[in-house]
Amino acid sequence: MTEELKTLQWNGWHHAFRRKAEESAAAAWRKPGMDDRRRTARRMSAALEAEQPVMFPGEIIAFTRTVTAMPMIFSREEWEAIRKNHYIHELGNVSNLSPDYGRVIRSGLLALRERAETLCPGQPVTEEIDAVLGLTARYAAAAREAGLTDLARVLERVPAYGAETFREALQSLRILHYALWYEGNYHNTLGRFDQYMMPWLERDLAEGRETRESAYELVKAFFLACNRDSDLYPGMQQGDNGQSLMLGGMTPDGRDGYNLLSDMCLEACGELKLIDPKINLRVNRDTPPEIFEKGTRLTRLGLGFPQYANDDIVIPALEDLGYAAEDARNYAVAACWEFIIPGRGMEIPNIGALSFAQVTDRTIRAHLAECRDMEELKAYLARAIRADVLDQMAERKNLYVIPSPFLSLFFDGCLESGRDISEGCVYNNWGFHGTGLAPAADMLAAVEKTVLSGDIPAERLIAAMDADFEGEEVLRETLRHDCPKMGNDDGAAPYAAWLLHTFAESVKDLRNERGGRVRAGTGSAMYYITHAAALGATADGREAGVPLPANYAPSLNIRLNGPLSLIRDFTVPDLKEAINGGPLTVEFSESVFSQEDAVKKVAQLVRMFIRKGGHQIQLNTVNREKLLDAQRHPENYRNLIVRVWGWSGYFTELDKCYQDHIIRRAELSV
Amino acid sequence: MTGTVFDIKEFAVFDGPGIRTTVFMKGCPLRCRWCHNPEGLSPAPQLMVSTAACVHCGACSRVCRHPDKCIACGECVAACRYGYRKIAGKRWDAEELAKRLMKGREFFEDGGGVTFSGGEPLMQWPFVREVIRHMPGIHTAIETSGYAPDDVFDEMRKTVSLVMMDWKVSDPEAFRFWTGANQEPVRRHMEALCAGETPFIVRMPVIPGVNDRKEHFETLANMTAGARSLMRVELLPYQKAAGAKYAMVDMDYRPGFDESPAPRMFPEVFEERGIQVRQFR
Repeated sequence: MTEELKTLQWNGWHHAFRRKAEESAAAAWRKPGMDDRRRTARRMSAALEAEQPVMFPGEIIAFTRTVTAMPMIFSREEWEAIRKNHYIHELGNVSNLSPDYGRVIRSGLLALRERAETLCPGQPVTEEIDAVLGLTARYAAAAREAGLTDLARVLERVPAYGAETFREALQSLRILHYALWYEGNYHNTLGRFDQYMMPWLERDLAEGRETRESAYELVKAFFLACNRDSDLYPGMQQGDNGQSLMLGGMTPDGRDGYNLLSDMCLEACGELKLIDPKINLRVNRDTPPEIFEKGTRLTRLGLGFPQYANDDIVIPALEDLGYAAEDARNYAVAACWEFIIPGRGMEIPNIGALSFAQVTDRTIRAHLAECRDMEELKAYLARAIRADVLDQMAERKNLYVIPSPFLSLFFDGCLESGRDISEGCVYNNWGFHGTGLAPAADMLAAVEKTVLSGDIPAERLIAAMDADFEGEEVLRETLRHDCPKMGNDDGAAPYAAWLLHTFAESVKDLRNERGGRVRAGTGSAMYYITHAAALGATADGREAGVPLPANYAPSLNIRLNGPLSLIRDFTVPDLKEAINGGPLTVEFSESVFSQEDAVKKVAQLVRMFIRKGGHQIQLNTVNREKLLDAQRHPENYRNLIVRVWGWSGYFTELDKCYQDHIIRRAELSV
Repeated sequence: MTGTVFDIKEFAVFDGPGIRTTVFMKGCPLRCRWCHNPEGLSPAPQLMVSTAACVHCGACSRVCRHPDKCIACGECVAACRYGYRKIAGKRWDAEELAKRLMKGREFFEDGGGVTFSGGEPLMQWPFVREVIRHMPGIHTAIETSGYAPDDVFDEMRKTVSLVMMDWKVSDPEAFRFWTGANQEPVRRHMEALCAGETPFIVRMPVIPGVNDRKEHFETLANMTAGARSLMRVELLPYQKAAGAKYAMVDMDYRPGFDESPAPRMFPEVFEERGIQVRQFR
């Protein structure tokens, strides 16, 4: 059944129903005197009312978006006025959170509506709930008309009432998730799906309503639905839609949460081979090898996931930052890798980014000549890192986020307190990415070996960098190949450890205006392109124009010794200090997997990274020739999936600069 | 003691059990016509150039001080801004190499270890033996053609944890034609492995038109049937990319057989005799 649905969906059967809303629709909510919450609600209800039910033949999990884009709640003038007085993060909407779907699926929207009415009659959220239920009723009627009686029965119950079966719970989740996008929220993650959905599955299996096989078909249908409208939800690039899903890991009460549903999810992804949802897998030092092997089988398919997160590191690190133990144990990830807390965090884990490469390059250029030793250079660099972080904090004042009454239903205490999620929740921490850590460490290692050792005058190195090493090829070669490199286990790792520690120390005492803390990270997001463009040639022998590595990964212009050295070096820094997340990214050539036992070996490698204290790791299987051919003949590679920075997308849908970066990484593959 | 190594590959997935690091020893007494590692043939360090990618900017010629005969001094390596030149072959001190390899120790614990390949690692056996001596407790494997003096081969068998030996061509005359060497010691050493205690794997490079014949498979199967220490036979089909590196070391690739057909495989010959067989792609 799902196979036919997949084919229809892949061929864009439902695209025929798509249309764009008129800009004039905004008149319904852009009214003087109408506050932003009401506007959000009016916009969402108008959109849902404009929706036409689409019934795929043999539909299992319904809801398809047809109105592709809606004008925002403010006019351009209003928005500009707000921007003048406020810091606006990205598009201004709430994004990148992990809603507590379980609570809403359990209680049903009607009960929440009643509670809202009791607390404060006429709230905007009731308008939104009514619109969701109105569209659901029309879907139910359409299902009846199409003869899909089972589906109609499900839609007549959820999300109005608490789900009673696994299928109802999945359908309810689909509708709620769909509605969140319509409220304007984006990067709507799926969180700990195997944890919050398991009670329904367990009961259905126990009571004989579903078999493992029938439930598995439902999971597949739900995953398929996650790919239905996702092309309408791009972030920086097509595929960057934030539909991350977390599997396994410790439960809030301290048990191992990996369950039957976790297994079914891994299996379903391997069978569907689609980019959504993007699978994350929580593991720890005692996770059995078989689970790593199941994950590795997905890696072998070239899906770019799972991304692994290490409970042994992440949980205590979150506790150190002030998260309650049961919340720390319940972490999920934002769109890419940032660790966030479902239903309790209104965190902005990507509000800033330190470019290790830039700040190190700047410091070397400005101060290397006057430094007698590494300690003096480090002192300048530590001050520069702190100054960079403070500058970014100073710009991020008076934050305004567009309210989201409907999303607030999924967060602890929002309904009761009347505080919209956009204004904050239990955790209001911010996160700074850290890009170009490895090149920065390589720069320090190179100046230590060449300049601070007395072999080469600082002026000569700086002049060579300014000339992009023209006429200084031998020096460039020395810098690039005869100096220690982060990832080659030859002495650069302590610099990376120091840089990361210094970054973490620089943000430790900071508090944002919501009382939240600032978390240091090792992620890059798309900054690996922009931060590299701002750099000239650097002291590690990198020529101007060579990109920075994505995330927590070695420089792109070096010869790598191999994955053992890589893992040894990248577990030297104390990664508890980098708890905003950002994975070690390793590229494997397809040929590695040509023998069956390679799955076991790659799984051992991942496990070793976890056991050595790595925080997060993500592996890609690539074939450089195939990527090059896909650039030439995109029409032959529509379903070629690649990992970009924190997410998987279709290679041919990416801008060329991201394609080129992936090809460049493939050259370093094992 | 020093030895010449032309590559160290971490996480070599085809070179034995578990997570392994493979050391490629430079120099080989054989000249197999299908050899895909031409830089492993000569025992001396030598220049390797990515000729196919070269843009002929001339930077290398400008710095060259030995235009008549390359001495692998490496000055042109630094001059190439594209990184298309390198010296294949680095002298290592045995203890230093052991130290370098032992860095991966924690990765080897689940059945992995170090593999010595080449070239022919037995050509530098005293060095290899010394490196192994400095890695106590590490699982070691060797990939060999079996072409070595008897005392070297015997000592090796008693030293390493696993032997991976080639069986290239069964007919002695043909063996000489395709590899340039006498098959006698190779056959003797295969028999010694079959009779001995050291776990071993036999690898068959299967070359179209050269040895993709059933009789060849049967010869090996009959030799090895009943060998207690034999783990399995591995069939390695000829890869058309084998000639890719010859131009890089300024050699011509003249295989002397038609590369295009896929070699024929007869795994059943082993299966019928209860010998485990694994086919590579």
